[in-house]
Amino acid sequence: MNHAPASRPRGLRRALLPLLAVALLGAPALANETPQRGGTLVIGIGQNPGHLNPAISTGSEVHAVADSLFSGLIRLDDQANPYPELARSWEVSADARTYTFHLRPGVRWHDGEPFTSADVAFTFEQVLLRYHARTRTGLEGRLERIDTPDELTVAFTFREPYAPFLQQLNVTEAPILPRHVYATVPDVQTAPENLTPVGTGPYRFVAYVVDDRVVLARNDDYFKPDLPYLDRLIFRVIPDANTRLLALERGEVDFIGGLPAGELARIDALPEVTLYTPNSGSGGGFCVMTMSFNLERERLADHRVRQAFAHAIDRQQVLEQVLFGHGRVATGPIHSQLAFAYSDDVRAYPHDPALAEALLDAAGLPRGADGTRFSTTFLHFPAFAKYGEVLRQNLARVGVRLELVALDRAAFITRVFEQRDFDTNVISYCNNADPAIGVARVYVSTNIGNIPFSNAAAYVNPEVDRLFAEAASQADVEARGRLYAEVQRLLVDELPYLWLVETQFSAAGRAEVRGLSPWSGSPAEAAWIAR
Amino acid sequence: MLAFVARRLSQAVPLLLAVAGLTFLLIELAPGDPIVALAGEDGDAAYVAMMRERFGLDRPLGERFVVYMGRVLRGDLGFSYRLQQSAVTAVLGRLPATLLLIGPALLLSTAFGLVLGVLAARRPHSLTDTAVSTVSLLGHAVPVFWLAQLLLLVFAYRLEAFPVQGMRNVRLDAQGLAGALDVARHMVLPVTALTVQFLAPIARVARASLIDVLGQDYVRTAVAKGLQRRAVIGKHALRNALLPVVTVIGAQVGFMFSGAVLTETVFAWPGLGRLLLSAMLARDLAIVSSMFLLLTVAVVVSTLLVDLLYAALDPRIRYG
Amino acid sequence: MAERWLAVRGWAPRRRSAPSPSLLVGGALTCGFVLLALLGESLAPGDPFAAAATPFAPPSAAHPFGTDDLGRDLLRAVLQGARVSLIVGLTVAATSLTLGLLVGGVAGYLGGAADDLLMRFTELVLVLPRFFLALVVVALFGANLANLIVVLALTSWGIVARVARAGVLAAKEQEYVLAARALGSAGPSVLWRHVLPNVLAPVAAYAALQVGNAILVEASLSFLGFGDPNLVSWGYLLNNAQAFVRRAWWLSVFPGVAIVLAVVAINLLADGMRGRRPANGG
Repeated sequence: MNHAPASRPRGLRRALLPLLAVALLGAPALANETPQRGGTLVIGIGQNPGHLNPAISTGSEVHAVADSLFSGLIRLDDQANPYPELARSWEVSADARTYTFHLRPGVRWHDGEPFTSADVAFTFEQVLLRYHARTRTGLEGRLERIDTPDELTVAFTFREPYAPFLQQLNVTEAPILPRHVYATVPDVQTAPENLTPVGTGPYRFVAYVVDDRVVLARNDDYFKPDLPYLDRLIFRVIPDANTRLLALERGEVDFIGGLPAGELARIDALPEVTLYTPNSGSGGGFCVMTMSFNLERERLADHRVRQAFAHAIDRQQVLEQVLFGHGRVATGPIHSQLAFAYSDDVRAYPHDPALAEALLDAAGLPRGADGTRFSTTFLHFPAFAKYGEVLRQNLARVGVRLELVALDRAAFITRVFEQRDFDTNVISYCNNADPAIGVARVYVSTNIGNIPFSNAAAYVNPEVDRLFAEAASQADVEARGRLYAEVQRLLVDELPYLWLVETQFSAAGRAEVRGLSPWSGSPAEAAWIAR
Repeated sequence: MLAFVARRLSQAVPLLLAVAGLTFLLIELAPGDPIVALAGEDGDAAYVAMMRERFGLDRPLGERFVVYMGRVLRGDLGFSYRLQQSAVTAVLGRLPATLLLIGPALLLSTAFGLVLGVLAARRPHSLTDTAVSTVSLLGHAVPVFWLAQLLLLVFAYRLEAFPVQGMRNVRLDAQGLAGALDVARHMVLPVTALTVQFLAPIARVARASLIDVLGQDYVRTAVAKGLQRRAVIGKHALRNALLPVVTVIGAQVGFMFSGAVLTETVFAWPGLGRLLLSAMLARDLAIVSSMFLLLTVAVVVSTLLVDLLYAALDPRIRYG
Repeated sequence: MAERWLAVRGWAPRRRSAPSPSLLVGGALTCGFVLLALLGESLAPGDPFAAAATPFAPPSAAHPFGTDDLGRDLLRAVLQGARVSLIVGLTVAATSLTLGLLVGGVAGYLGGAADDLLMRFTELVLVLPRFFLALVVVALFGANLANLIVVLALTSWGIVARVARAGVLAAKEQEYVLAARALGSAGPSVLWRHVLPNVLAPVAAYAALQVGNAILVEASLSFLGFGDPNLVSWGYLLNNAQAFVRRAWWLSVFPGVAIVLAVVAINLLADGMRGRRPANGG
């Protein structure tokens, strides 16, 4: 299946025919449509957000709603290129150690207070660097200091050159909180202010009915001229995926993210619905489904056994039967869409059950009387059960019995990262806009231990550590690319993890809704409804 | 009578305490750290330790248990940090939405159940009887979520007769009468699913107890005296046959709530069901234990009401 | 005259020896279900998790129930599911039968303070919301069948205990029992000899009902995402079918119908068993 990064809706083809007909009949040209103001957009989400503070959590359910209320210094497009948002311009020093941002003047918080550089400094120092997982791991130890020479200037100085900083400054990775609200709060994590958020985003908070809906209204003082177009934005919580889809088809909601893979073909064919397949979503982007091997277990510490797994597992089947073709077989830890860093010059592990059996025999794990060699546990979120089922089928063929263990998030974290009580597991590790943000944390030896969604395999390789550190502190893109190529080669050789598939995000909206940006946490910033 | 009620209520208290204790132990013994849910996954060691101390989670199990039970006795069922409100407020706040489904479903299933029961009892072991029994049995045997999804697909999706999800149309946000009608429209499918589920036990018990009663001596006497068939059924038999029906309804309370949870999930109805599920995933002890206690209270109260109804229906029964 | 009128309508006390249609139909269906479950292996052999054909194959001669999204044969899976349901149901029924008879019987026999205490405990078990407890246990302690069976078994014996106790109390008052005890015959065994036949039918009926209930609870938990992923159960099949409900109707229909038929069969059987008690003459 074609995997071109789609920042344009795929249903456009279908829209062309009627447009053509209209043009022929002499109707006014619709090619450059003017956005119409007004209306309510209803977005269906699968989970209750909980609280509405995006700076203290990386959970997609929080960001799905909260990102529309706040802003970051920059905004990313679907190819992860930065554009001005709260910062109207910026400079990077020649040695890539200092980033200076010039903030937009005249920006106001939803409660009328002015936005200043003090808010930025406060958010980073008191909130992000303490509670936001990815930003913390990315910046901790690297960031030397933050200066605010005046109200509209912020400068970040790093100990060493840090190349991917810009990609970490959108509303998902570094949303800016109001200092005047949170400075006096004893504990940001449990503050009641998290339920009545005050931000600088395109929409302001109106009401939150837990497990039912969140209601937002247009921020008339939004700093981008003309935006947003909509009067109201409502997030409706619909946990059941089928019901959510039915609601979209019946027009009860206008936009949903995260469609069941099996339905994508059918949805694409519906005239009243437009399908989007962006590279990222509200929880992150450029994700690779990764199987971890617990290298502290003797059997899995044997390289031959891991190789056997790689040859026994049919990744093409996973792509076809779990993702219905919407994605790509993964070759390594870095997502193929991160062009500057991706390298396919790595060892290949073709689907070869015979070779897998030979490897397992060589490793001293013969088949028993009942045909089974050994049993392995496979931990997963309930949502990823399908992966387990395909893998179970594949591994059964070579005599390995895979025992599926479904755990919810809290139990999963405890068993995998705290107790390390597992043989294998599967995690969706999202690269995000730069490998230094989302990739390094999985393979560096400093990340072994009770750090959720980090180095589950307990893989230790000083060379890999060095390569990642150096790649993050290089300014030259080509040099970084070479370093990442080298690290991919190493990792795919050693196989501490097995990279199954690259996943795609999917979203669908009613055809009359235009201007959506589904790759962003704030998809409705420029959305409007054609009547 | 009052003494009876008072005694029964006082007997309920140790029961409720036992349930509270059981809930506490369950959550405690379960794997998965509540701190993860409270502090987020990414707090550093110092922060996590601080949170643990703050919530008293660093105390030994025994001490925490005693503290917890003490608070329960005072009526304090805990505070949900996730929702920023007391557990009791959260649960009671969502209760009306669930009652909006259970209430009408109960009324309808009682009404239909009695009608079906009478139909079947008039001619036991006849075709009508077998048909009625089978139909009501089918309703009970079908998993309620399967039925709900079927109704959804047929009536909301294919026929577009009713809305697909939710309690109201969030876009319109109608108030007053229009709002009530909006909610009513949204209620039809979930209430239907629940009614079909609750129907069977009621119809079956109605039929069985009617047949029993109609075989009694005094009924035969009445018939021998020449009373009309309808009068026999209506006046004498039904009243006494109602007693077991009322018992069945009272005993079904737990079953009704579980049906509501499943139906609410399919229709995205914002009631207690979703509250419990998300509270469990987040290890929100306050919410989970409050819901358990609430359900237990509901069962105890309904049993009491049943007993009182007994007295009202059967003049021979008197409580001291 | 009145007698005849009543008898014609079936309201007269039924003769003890006539088995009700429910018992026959229910019994037959249940036996069929048990047979299929036991023989399932040989009727449709193979690993139900292995791919048998192309995915999403509609029902055909080769695959009467069609195949699912991973190409697994649904008929094989449904038969395997019958076995899982049977195991769960029987274990729960057996445990509740044993526990219930024990607790109820002892309470009725001993009477007094012991009776009171045991009945209070029974009340606690009766009052617990069974489905929610199962949900919480499975969600917190892990989604596997063992947890489910334990929870259901420990919470389903309440009614059985009540009925058993009532039976013992009634028997204690019977003349022949009093006479036997006056003559000095051993206590408990006499009681059981007279109690058991009367108590067994309704108690077994309630226990049978637990089987049906266990099947429905298992299906519901799987629907909510808390089913055991290592076993093919009917609930697992229904849960799997949800994502494809509009593409492959057979994935939802066949497991659903299986559940309905099994639960109906068991309930009919239970009804029939209950109907065999002495006619109510007043």
